[in-house]
Amino acid sequence: MDQAVRELSYAQAIQEAMAIALESDERVFLMGEDIGVYGGAFQVTGDLVERFGADRVIDTPISELGGAGVAVGAAVTGLRPIFEFQFSDFATLAMEQIVNQAAKMRYMLGGAVSVPVVMRFPAGSGTGAAAQHSQSLEAWLGHVPGLKVIQPATPYDVKGMLLAAVADPDPVMIFEHKLLYKTKGPVPEGYYTVPIGKAEIRREGRDLTIVATSIMVHKALEAAKTLEAEGIDVEVVDLRTIRPMDKETVIESVKKTSRLLCVYEGVKTLGVGAEVSAMIAESEAFDFLDAPIVRLGGAETPIPYNPELEKATVPQVPDILAAVRSLATGSR
Amino acid sequence: MTVAQAKAKNLPAGANLPFIYREYSAERLKLALHKMYLIRQFEEGAEESYMRGLIHGTMHLSIGQEASAMGICMPLTNDDQITSTHRGHGHCIAKGAEVSKMFAEFFGKTTGYCRGRGGSMHIADVTTGNLGANGIVGGGIPIAVGAALTAKRLKSDRVVISFFGDGANNEGAFHEALNMASLWKLPVIFVCENNGYGMSTSMARSTAVANVADRAAAYSMPGVIVDGNVLSEVAEASHEAVRRARLGEGPTLIESKTYRYRGHSKSDRNRYRTKEEIEDWMTNRDPIVRYENELMEFGIIDQAGIEAIREAVRKEIADGIEFAKASPSPEIRNLERYVYTETV
Amino acid sequence: MPVEVILPKVDMDMATGRISRWYVDEGAAVKKGDLLFEIETDKAAMEIDAPASGTIRDITGKEGIDIAVGEAVAWIYAEGEAGKPAKDVVAEAKPVQNLAPAAPASVATASAFSPALAPVKAVAPSMPLNGTRATPLARRLAAEAGLALETIAGSGPKGRVMRKDVESAMTAPKREVKAALWPDQIISRPPASSQPRPAPQRSAGAAPLNFAWLRQGEGRPIVLIHGFGADLNSWRPMLAAGPVDAPLLALDLPAHGGSPRHTPADLDAIAADVEATLASLDLGPILLVGHSFGGAVAATVAARGHADVRALALIAPAGLGPEINGAFLQGFVRAKSEASLMPWLRQLVAAEQVLSKPFVNATLAQAADSELRTAQGEISDRFFADGTQTFDIRGLLAALRIPVRVIVGANDRIIPASQSQGLPGEVALHVFPATGHMPQVERREQVLKILLEMARA
Repeated sequence: MDQAVRELSYAQAIQEAMAIALESDERVFLMGEDIGVYGGAFQVTGDLVERFGADRVIDTPISELGGAGVAVGAAVTGLRPIFEFQFSDFATLAMEQIVNQAAKMRYMLGGAVSVPVVMRFPAGSGTGAAAQHSQSLEAWLGHVPGLKVIQPATPYDVKGMLLAAVADPDPVMIFEHKLLYKTKGPVPEGYYTVPIGKAEIRREGRDLTIVATSIMVHKALEAAKTLEAEGIDVEVVDLRTIRPMDKETVIESVKKTSRLLCVYEGVKTLGVGAEVSAMIAESEAFDFLDAPIVRLGGAETPIPYNPELEKATVPQVPDILAAVRSLATGSR
Repeated sequence: MTVAQAKAKNLPAGANLPFIYREYSAERLKLALHKMYLIRQFEEGAEESYMRGLIHGTMHLSIGQEASAMGICMPLTNDDQITSTHRGHGHCIAKGAEVSKMFAEFFGKTTGYCRGRGGSMHIADVTTGNLGANGIVGGGIPIAVGAALTAKRLKSDRVVISFFGDGANNEGAFHEALNMASLWKLPVIFVCENNGYGMSTSMARSTAVANVADRAAAYSMPGVIVDGNVLSEVAEASHEAVRRARLGEGPTLIESKTYRYRGHSKSDRNRYRTKEEIEDWMTNRDPIVRYENELMEFGIIDQAGIEAIREAVRKEIADGIEFAKASPSPEIRNLERYVYTETV
Repeated sequence: MPVEVILPKVDMDMATGRISRWYVDEGAAVKKGDLLFEIETDKAAMEIDAPASGTIRDITGKEGIDIAVGEAVAWIYAEGEAGKPAKDVVAEAKPVQNLAPAAPASVATASAFSPALAPVKAVAPSMPLNGTRATPLARRLAAEAGLALETIAGSGPKGRVMRKDVESAMTAPKREVKAALWPDQIISRPPASSQPRPAPQRSAGAAPLNFAWLRQGEGRPIVLIHGFGADLNSWRPMLAAGPVDAPLLALDLPAHGGSPRHTPADLDAIAADVEATLASLDLGPILLVGHSFGGAVAATVAARGHADVRALALIAPAGLGPEINGAFLQGFVRAKSEASLMPWLRQLVAAEQVLSKPFVNATLAQAADSELRTAQGEISDRFFADGTQTFDIRGLLAALRIPVRVIVGANDRIIPASQSQGLPGEVALHVFPATGHMPQVERREQVLKILLEMARA
């Protein structure tokens, strides 16, 4: 059956995915702060409470640790909770339940249970929300075996990956960049999934591979367009999932282009790009490298309030252009 | 009327006996004694095996707290669920687990409840409703609330018990979880086994209220204090809380005051309490001795019957240890199994 | 039965412990719960109580030595009880034998920790590192091509050698020859064999050919002659297969690589060019190796007797029969792009994976030189007219009195392997299964081994 394709915003795509999940599976319910009549801090849940009732779109007290634990307990005993954090920064309040309980329960119990919980984290800078509401903490959770951590970059992917996450038997953490919520793209109607653990080549190219995550995928594509006019043919790999990482796609791309640039918003040191770089250095692609690997990541500071400072904290298109030019011309 | 008088007159149920003697058959009461012995001897067997280096890591023994674990679990069915604590061996046995598979887990064997991946601190038996012990103080409390949310949403008749210690009552998770459970009237019972010390720090030095049960008022739920070393008292409180929960009246906080004979863990040097204090609890307030005396006093069992139970338990423990020793260890190549759900 | 007093595990990850102090003496009366001894661990001292009441005897756990967890350190006897039980009651742990100091305990310690502390065998790096700055890709390509990295000028930052530098080094054979490769390469060689030899018969126009020392070393030099359409660089992949200790000289045939671009009249004319080149180098006795068309040239040189050839190795040689893959020759000479070249290159080998990127790039670079390919087309027309080998070396081989080995691939699609049948009995034949026209690439280790053995013989 053909599914009609509409232009939806990223936030609408998430809402549609949750509505489909709520409609098709009685076990699914939403939990979070102000997700009911308020519609969610970023209006992602919207009017779902009117459509599905307060029993299935549950406003929680401001209790991130307790709320996350309730979601974990519900998941272990047969429900399929989707837990929204108001800001990804608040994961810090719930790390115990995410890291010690959700991630490890199946392992600690020798496979006797699964923890099919989905947690959504509005993340990233660019909204002037300063240091405690702008972080990109995906690498923190990416470090924990037992979790799956995804960063969809397009409306199409976020709907398909959220539905894949709901169907997944294990805890899936979705990091949604706040600046993506209003971006639009084609989204088919109805149910479909996009696999977790599979990267996507957004643009094929010969000369250099950019591995990017979340909003940086769009910045990399914008840079690639400019570079094309200069005769530099860039391949852009959208990592999509940081755990488990799709090593094969990245390795094959680097083997083809011999050059690697990692672009991500999280703090550069010990971040996603550090992992991608090390993974390539350890892989068969090492012998194909014709230039040093370069990372562009967040600055080693908290996210500042001043808009110019804030912009300077995370990689921007001109940073990507400069890095690619120096790599492609062999000057670094 | 004294108990002896009641017995002499062969009175029907409803006579003025402690709760469990009115509620349960002699067989159930003897089974409870059996299980309390099983808990104690399991702990002793585990301690012995630990000291011989057969058990790795550390563990937290619940010797002295048997009536608390057993009493709470008496009104529960296999379908009801519990979350447990680092001092959780007793809960696991009281809820119905087999000691052989528990020993196997402690010995790190594949036949253990967690296939050797969890050990003492994560002992669980999901088949009898134990969702697992927890190495994080207070870690299981919100999870129990989540399990109760499932029970309510699926309209099952299930109740969920969350065991925790006095130390956990100062964790944020405790407060957040109690608030939500009460707010949503969930079928969950919070059982604080107050053994007086969070590791070395006494209640008096750590907690602003005199009793953990006093906290219940803040969350608009009943707070009940029982002598955790008297089986009937514990069971009675549990019965009432379970009744409320099943009727949809919401959670209860039970504070079961008890004592652990051993140190916090195997690395405890016992510097924070006196030998006299420990001696007093062991000699004068032992929960098993008290229960035995009651059972004999009420004519439910005689000395020979008690000896028979002890002997049966000894054999069960010895067999359990043998089973664990003879069981295979996990293979290194399976190290990464159970991190994620295997897709078949 | 007396009650065993063991050294208990009192801490995580404790395999052994030390008794720092006994509080009771041998023969003392103890009550259950009395303090018996103190254990030191990394973190703290722990006090151990008596597990039973009675008389303590057989105190074997000495103070200050490492004792394995679970070992008996004493026994508590009830009143009137005598004799230690022969066997341990519960655990596998054995009681300490005597008061023997340290020894049993240290054995226990060693066994408890040996897996972690087992010495790690030092592993030599598989590739020697050198001080040259180069990208991993450049290093790999240079190694595959048999190029010495330090001879390549790097165009990257701080002289870093990059892919393009290696590739241009490979397609510019002249630049690296002699001066570039081994500036100090004038090696004094022992005078040529004292045996009188006929003076070189230079045919009119005999011209020295381009050559390169691919390896220096001791012993009999090996001289390599490539096949049609290739050049001296085509031997490099083979050299990457293992250490080569013999001196190794490679020639470019006329109208190939860096050699003069004339079209020789016949095999003798080419042989004369080879002889002239070898004579100028004063090599002494050599092992002569030829591939394909170069094999026919090598056989001719050996038969003419002007060069001091002591052994001959022919790899997939031409000149043993009439048939040759004419379509390949034509297609190969004409191909100008990777797309048109690859199908023909694939014909060369049984499994295309052996066609390395540098090999393909080097061949393409030659294809771009239209003057070179025109000259080669003339050679093809002359020597392989109408898809036929117009020359025959069987007669030459029959007359040779030196060791000769023929090396072919069973699946050769250029010159059928069947042509190597019916050779004289003293000619050794190596047939590699699942191998095409390039045994020196496809079976590089084995072929290199055969050549080095011949050179040493």
